[in-house]
Amino acid sequence: MEEKPFKALAKSSGHRGSGKSSPHDIRNLCTTATQSQPKLNVPLPTVREDSELEGSSVGSTTCWSYNQKAGHDSDGGWEESDDGEDKDSFKPEELDEHALMELEMRRGSSLGGPLEEDDSKTDDEKSSSVSSLNISKHTPHRAYWVEQQSRLPLPLTELMENEALEILTKALRSYRSEIGRDHFLTKQLQRYIEGLKRRRNKRLQVMVI
Amino acid sequence: MKLKQGSFLWYLYLDKLYCLLSVRNVKALVEYFHLLDVHRKKTLNDVLFYHFLHHVTDLKRNQITIVFNMLDWNAVGEIGFDQFYMLVCILLAQENHLEEQFIFRHSRPVFELLDLDGELKIGPSNFHMYNFLFKIKKQQLRDLYHDFDITGDCRLNYKEFKLFTIFSMNKYQESQKAVEEEKALPEKKVSQVNVSQRESLLGINHFESVSNYNCEHL
Repeated sequence: MEEKPFKALAKSSGHRGSGKSSPHDIRNLCTTATQSQPKLNVPLPTVREDSELEGSSVGSTTCWSYNQKAGHDSDGGWEESDDGEDKDSFKPEELDEHALMELEMRRGSSLGGPLEEDDSKTDDEKSSSVSSLNISKHTPHRAYWVEQQSRLPLPLTELMENEALEILTKALRSYRSEIGRDHFLTKQLQRYIEGLKRRRNKRLQVMVI
Repeated sequence: MKLKQGSFLWYLYLDKLYCLLSVRNVKALVEYFHLLDVHRKKTLNDVLFYHFLHHVTDLKRNQITIVFNMLDWNAVGEIGFDQFYMLVCILLAQENHLEEQFIFRHSRPVFELLDLDGELKIGPSNFHMYNFLFKIKKQQLRDLYHDFDITGDCRLNYKEFKLFTIFSMNKYQESQKAVEEEKALPEKKVSQVNVSQRESLLGINHFESVSNYNCEHL
């Protein structure tokens, strides 16, 4: 149930970065992490423990540890947080601006990340120390990350909203027939349904883009 | 009663031991309730409640009204999240065939729900009315009043009701054990059959093996 949002968001993040790929691109880091996975298995337990402490879910833990494994957890953490942001936000322009700003900040703070990662791959001890450093780097964002984790998965939210829309549309018919079209409760319900529909359409647009 | 497949409630998981939802599930349920709470009163009125139950279950109109009246004990005309949560747990317990377990684990709230008049006693008519929710069979009901109505007033107080829940829970566990044993027996038989088939395929004959054994020892 919780894998879907990441898949969907992976697509969206892919789109966001299309045509702007750079050596510091997070997606590149993610791919290097998957390719060199066996070598980077050593610092993983410590990272996982940390992420589990923060009450993460199974699906999110895997993605999180992916980023941690790559030794770019600051970037990875940003990506994770941004993914969470996508779930409920319906302003793609704002999101992109915010995301780009965050990315710039991260780049500034951790220059030469990929090179350090290559070193860490060769030496287990170094990699463990790097991972612990990364965890300490990440601490300021922990609260934000936990907040993101506590949100509901996107497919579940969609399911709930669609079901609620169906129920409320039927209720609106009953309201109209029983208390009349002009009753304030009917109007309130109608406004609410329209708002829900708008929200759903906006989200659909974001997902299509 | 059946839950609509693919509905939001259908995805919730009720803990089989405690008959409760996890915190994560409750959080999702709160969000769901919040979506249905159109008038922002933290309650659902009868119309919204009817359409909700009609959408997610196959309950009839009169049954939904009975459920609403049961939950709206104070006759406010609306139900809050606590009652909504209770209802969802009852629905999920029924969906997972955990009625006995649910009544046993939550005997006090169930008793309070069944005690419509607030007299702290439940008559057989109350049980009969909510039969579609708790699935208490007629024979079971007869036995219940025959065996547990200690005061003899044809109504059960909480202690008598609690005794009934313990008894029915024991019965349920025994039946579950019997089912498990029945399941385990054919598996044993199958494994035995498999061994003999394997031996025959390998050309091992019991008589041969015995004769070989004898020859070796001779």
